[in-house]
Amino acid sequence: MPRTHKILWIATLFSAFAFLGMTVDSLHRMSARTHADQLSAQVVEGKRLWQHYDCNDCHTILGIGAYYAPDVTKSFAQRGEPWLRKFLQNPAAMYPAGRQMPNYHLSGAQIDSLVAYLGWVSRIDTNGWPPAPEGMAPAQGAASAELAGSKVYLAQGCNACHSMQGSGGALAPDLTHVGSRRSKAWILQQLDDPRRNNVQSIMPSFGQLATGDKQQLADYLVSLK
Amino acid sequence: MRYKSQTIAREYLVAALLLFLLQVVFGLLNITKYIWGYDPLLNIIPFNVSRAIHINLLVFWLLLALMGATYYMVADELKTEIYSAKLGRVQLGILLASGVAAIVGYLFQWNFGMPFLEQPTVVKLAIVVAALIFLANIGLTMFKNHHTLTRMTATLLGGMVMLAVMFLFGIPFMDNLSTQYYYWWWVIHLWVEGAWELIAASLVGWALIKVTGVSRQRIEGWVFAEVCLVLLTGVIGTGHHYYWIGTPRYWLWWGAIFSAAEPIPILMMLVDTVRHMLGARTLRTVNTLGLAWLGASAFVHFMGAGVWGFGQTLPQINRWTHGTQITASHGHFAFWGAYGMLAIALMYIILPELSGQSTEHGSKVGFTAFVSMNFSMIFMVMALLIAGIVQVYFQRVLGMEYLQTQGHMRLWYEVVLVAGSVFFVGTLLVLWDLLRLARTLPVGEPIPETEPEAIPGD
Ligand code: HEC
Ligand code: HEC
Ligand code: HEM
Ligand code: HEM
Ligand SMILES: [Fe+2]
Repeated sequence: MPRTHKILWIATLFSAFAFLGMTVDSLHRMSARTHADQLSAQVVEGKRLWQHYDCNDCHTILGIGAYYAPDVTKSFAQRGEPWLRKFLQNPAAMYPAGRQMPNYHLSGAQIDSLVAYLGWVSRIDTNGWPPAPEGMAPAQGAASAELAGSKVYLAQGCNACHSMQGSGGALAPDLTHVGSRRSKAWILQQLDDPRRNNVQSIMPSFGQLATGDKQQLADYLVSLK
Repeated sequence: MRYKSQTIAREYLVAALLLFLLQVVFGLLNITKYIWGYDPLLNIIPFNVSRAIHINLLVFWLLLALMGATYYMVADELKTEIYSAKLGRVQLGILLASGVAAIVGYLFQWNFGMPFLEQPTVVKLAIVVAALIFLANIGLTMFKNHHTLTRMTATLLGGMVMLAVMFLFGIPFMDNLSTQYYYWWWVIHLWVEGAWELIAASLVGWALIKVTGVSRQRIEGWVFAEVCLVLLTGVIGTGHHYYWIGTPRYWLWWGAIFSAAEPIPILMMLVDTVRHMLGARTLRTVNTLGLAWLGASAFVHFMGAGVWGFGQTLPQINRWTHGTQITASHGHFAFWGAYGMLAIALMYIILPELSGQSTEHGSKVGFTAFVSMNFSMIFMVMALLIAGIVQVYFQRVLGMEYLQTQGHMRLWYEVVLVAGSVFFVGTLLVLWDLLRLARTLPVGEPIPETEPEAIPGD
C-alpha cells in the first residue's frame, strides 16, 4: 500500500471514531434539548399514530419528509390546541378547497395523543428553525391591537376560505372591507356560531378560541373599512 | 458470458427494469396530485401512499440492479462461478415477495411511517435475511477464490456490508422523534453518501477496466483514494442533516465543513472516468451506449450530488431551503445521476455480454432514450429548483401561508408533469432496447473474448 493510501486510510478510520464520539455526546445533550423527560405515554402514542398513518409522507416534520403539505413542527404553537383538535376531527371543514388531507375518523383519544405529540415536537430546540419570516408588511398605519388580530386571523387559517387584499381562498366573502358592513358584535357571533347567521354555512365555529383572541380578531376585522 | 451462474444477473436486472418503469408511473401520479388539489383517489391511493411507493420502488430497483451487477462482476473478476446460483435466486424471490408485501400493505395502512423506511418491521426483517444470503453468497465466492481476490471486489464487498449494517439502524421504533431521525440519517445519508458510493465506485472501476482496457493498477489506486475520501468527508458530513432536528449546535460547524468537502471525491471520480475514457478509446471493441451512459452518469453525479448538494449544504442557506422543493430537485438529480444512470450503464454492459449480442453501435431506440431521458430529467430538476426558490421566497422570507404559496408554484409543477411525461416515454424506450439486448440469441456456447492484458491467476 503506498504511503498516501495508508495516511488516507488512517484518517478515514479516525474520522469514523470521531463521529461515534460526537454521537454519544449528541444523544446525551439531545435529551435536554428535546425535553425527553416530557415524553409521556400519550406523546409516544401520538408518535406511533403519526407513523401508523404515515403522515410523514405528506408532511415534513423538523423539515424532513414530503413537501406536499405544511411542515407541522410549529403547528401547535401557531394554530393552538382548539384549532388542531377541530382540524383533526374533520380536515375538510377547515380547508374545503385546495389540497386535501384524508379524514381518518380519529377517535377523541387518538386526537388527544396526536395533539400532545405535536405539542411536544413544537418545544424541541431546533436552533431557531424555521426562521421567522422577514415579513408580510402589516397594513399601513395598523395599530398594535389590530396587528395582534391579524396574527390570529393568519394563525386560525381564516384565509383558507376568505381572501383579503387579493390573497387567500375563494370560498367565502372577501374581508378586505368587512368592517364597513359588519359590527363587532355580529362578527363575534359569527365566530361562535356561523349557523345562526346561515343554517347551511360551511364556516366552522371558532367558539373554542380564547376570549382575548376573539376580541382582538373582531377588533381587527371591524377596523377594515 | 463465461460462467453459467452469471445468468442470475439477468434476472436481477430485468426485474429492476420493470420496477423502474413502475416507479416512474408513480412519479407521474405524485405530480398530478401536486397540480390538481382535488384528488379523486384521496381515499384509495392518497399522496402519502403514492409517494411511499415511488421512493420505495426507486431504492428497490436500484438495489436489485446493483446486486445483479455485483453477482456478474464478482464472477467476472474472480474468474469463477458464484458460490450458489440457487441461493441467488432464493434471495431474489425473498426480495420480490417483500416488495410486493410492502406495497400492497401501504394501501391498507400497514406502514412503519418513516420516509423511505415505510416497510413494516416484519418485511424489514425479511429484507435483512435476503441481505445476509447475499453477503454469504458473495463472501463465500470470494473466500473460496481468495487468491484471485481483487481490491475492486474487496471494496465492493465492503460497501455491501456497510449497506446492510446501516439498514439495521432504520428498524427500531424510538420514542424520541429527534433520536429516531438521528439514526434515520444513518440509513439515508450513510447509504447514498457512503455505502452506495463505495459500491458505485468499484462497479465503475470494473466497468472502466472492462470497457476501456485501462490498466487495473491505475484504476484501483484511484478508486481506493476516492473511496477513502468519500468516507472521510461523508461520515462526519452526516452533520449537514443535524442542523435543525434537536441536535447540538456544534453540528452547524462540523456538518458544514465536512459536507462541503464531499464534492471533492465526486469530482475526482468524474475527472478519472473522463480521462480513462478519452485515453483508451481505441483499445477495445466499444460499447457505445454503455460508454455514453457511464460517462454521462459521472457528469450528472457530480452536478446533482456535488453541485446541487453543495448549494444547500451550508447552514446559512439550508436554514431557508430545508425541506422545500429545492431538496426534491437535488434528490432527483443526485439519485438519477449517481445511481439511476449507473444502473442503466451497467445494464448496457452486462446484458449484451450475457446474451452474446453485439453492442458495437447502439440502436437508434437506445440513443433516443438516452437523449430524451437525460434532457427531460434536467428540465424536471430545473422546474423543481425554480418552484423551490419561489417557495423559499414567498413562504420562508415573506411569511405567506404554505398552501397559498403552493398556488404560486403550480406553473413549475406543470413543467415537471410535461418533462416527466417525456421521461416516461424515454423509460419505455430504454426498457424496450435493454430487453431486446437481454434476449439470448444463440443458446449455450461461451463467447470467445480477446483479453489484451494478462491477469495473474488466469
Ligand atoms: C394525503 C396527504 C396527507 C396526509 C397523509 C396527512 N396530511 Fe395533514 N395535511 C395535508 C394537507 C394538504 C394539509 C393542508 C391543507 C388542509 O388542511 O387540508 C394538512 C394539514 C395538516 C395540519 C395543519 C398544519 C398547519 O399548521 O396548518 C396538521 C396539524 C396535520 N395536517 C396533521 C396531520 C396528521 C397528524 C396526519 C396523520 C394522521 C396527517 N396530517 C396526514 C395532507 C396530509
Ligand atoms: C371553511 C371555510 C371558512 C373558514 C375557515 C372561515 N370562514 Fe368565515 N365564512 C365562510 C363562509 C362560507 C362565509 C359566508 C357566510 C356563511 O356561509 O356563513 C363566511 C363568513 C364570514 C364573515 C362574514 C363576512 C361577510 O361579509 O358577511 C366573517 C366576518 C367571517 N366569515 C370571519 C371569519 C374568520 C375571522 C375566520 C377565521 C377565524 C373565518 N371566517 C374562517 C367560510 C369560512
Ligand atoms: C449520490 C449522492 C447523493 C444522493 C443520492 C442524495 C440524495 C438526497 C436526498 C434524496 C435527500 C432528501 C432526503 C429527505 O427525504 O429529506 C437529500 C438531502 C440533502 N442532501 Fe443529498 N444526496 C447526495 C449527495 C449529496 C452531497 C454530496 C451533498 C453535499 C455536498 C448533499 C447535500 C444534501 C443536503 C444538505 C440535504 C438536506 C436538504 C434539506 O435540508 O432539506 N447531498 N439528498
Ligand atoms: C416522471 C418522472 C418523475 C416524476 C414526475 C417524479 C415526481 C416526484 C414527486 C412529485 C415526488 C414527491 C416530492 C415530495 O416529497 O413531496 C417525488 C419524490 C422523489 N422522487 Fe421522483 N419523480 C419522477 C422520477 C424519479 C426518478 C427517475 C427518480 C430517481 C432516479 C426519482 C427520485 C425521487 C426521490 C429521491 C424522491 C424523494 C425526494 C425527497 O425526499 O427530497 N423520481 N418524485
Ligand atoms: Fe446527506
